[in-house]
Amino acid sequence: MTDARKLQGDKLSEAEAIERAKQGDAEAFQLLYELHKRRVYSLCLRMTANTAEAEDLTQEAFLQLFRKIATFRGESAFSTWLHRMAVNVVLMQLRKKSLPVVPLEETLENEEEAPKKELGAQDPVLSGSIDRLRLHRAVDALPPGYRRIFVLHDVEGYEHNEIAAMVGCSIGNSKSQLHKARMKLRESLKTSRAEKAAKP
Amino acid sequence: MNCAKFQEVLPEVLEGGRTAEQESHLRSCPMCSSLVADLDLIAREARQLQEVADPSPRVWNSIEISLRQEGIIRDPQLGPALVPSIPRRWKLAWLAPVAALVVVGFGIVVYQRGSGDAKFSAHLDTTNPSLVANLQTSQKPSTVNNSEDDQLLAAVASRSPAMQAQYASNLQNVNAYIKDAEESAQADPNDEEAQQIVMDAYEQRATVYEMALDRSLP
Repeated sequence: MTDARKLQGDKLSEAEAIERAKQGDAEAFQLLYELHKRRVYSLCLRMTANTAEAEDLTQEAFLQLFRKIATFRGESAFSTWLHRMAVNVVLMQLRKKSLPVVPLEETLENEEEAPKKELGAQDPVLSGSIDRLRLHRAVDALPPGYRRIFVLHDVEGYEHNEIAAMVGCSIGNSKSQLHKARMKLRESLKTSRAEKAAKP
Repeated sequence: MNCAKFQEVLPEVLEGGRTAEQESHLRSCPMCSSLVADLDLIAREARQLQEVADPSPRVWNSIEISLRQEGIIRDPQLGPALVPSIPRRWKLAWLAPVAALVVVGFGIVVYQRGSGDAKFSAHLDTTNPSLVANLQTSQKPSTVNNSEDDQLLAAVASRSPAMQAQYASNLQNVNAYIKDAEESAQADPNDEEAQQIVMDAYEQRATVYEMALDRSLP
């Protein structure tokens, strides 16, 4: 049984936990953390590809949220509020590190990183499903700018207009980066599959 | 439409709203068709990365420590409260008369040193001449007269019954202060500081009388 379920053994709903957290209840805070920690941490991990950094950002996101919990009025889902805060924390941290949030469309540092156009003979296609571990590794290997747009759009479900506002780029740029990220992932996945098939 | 041109518009194709020409190319081109299928698959499968791992326990430990240090986590009271919860603004209400006592006492000391007893007496309520006389008497070094205090408390009770207990307590405290100060001064008549303390004690007593007789004060 997960910690979240243990804490919910007393049938404390998320709404009740939020109200009790506003009163300073430690157990309520922990329940909210347990309910959402995986999603937040996974987001941070996908965006940074670094476990230590992801944990620090997870901690910061929850702290910022809990400090403001008294202002939560329930107009939006709590998870939405938390998630948006986590994204902002991650993007802020990445900006502090002076990493390019989104590389300019035509200025890749390494041309080898650019996805190849699919022309000529047909390559073996991906199967009907993708191994999660392989996809995980492939995403971590993406250039940071591609990775961030891919995570925000395909993993977390944000729309291009939202991404553009958060990241500070144009919608067109967001679409372009996403496409390049997917192309790059396709290359990586096909390469890893070929390598696996080649092993005795 | 050839493959190169199709792939140039591929981002829009994947977002939806394909033209007839694009649909036609997809039907006729296995390579572009498999490319679109793969990219769609990647987009769909990406959702499985939403929740892949849990942070280590140290993350919650750090969060809890911070929340406790900032007072955001507050430990509940042990057991039921024995007295009703008093709004914070009223918990400090007792300071008001004490503060008034100090301010008035200071004012009287300054006034007395500047203008003498006569002007001080003029501020008193003339409808209670006996109390006025008692007040002047109370300024002189002498033993405390309990009958005077009783008369003062009677006057307070007639005008502000709720304040009688407060003034009774104040008089009890100031009389005890006078007694201790006089004992110290008698033990060493040459001790100027002890003498000053006795004067201060009687001034405080005078202050209590002044407050009791001044209708503008509670």
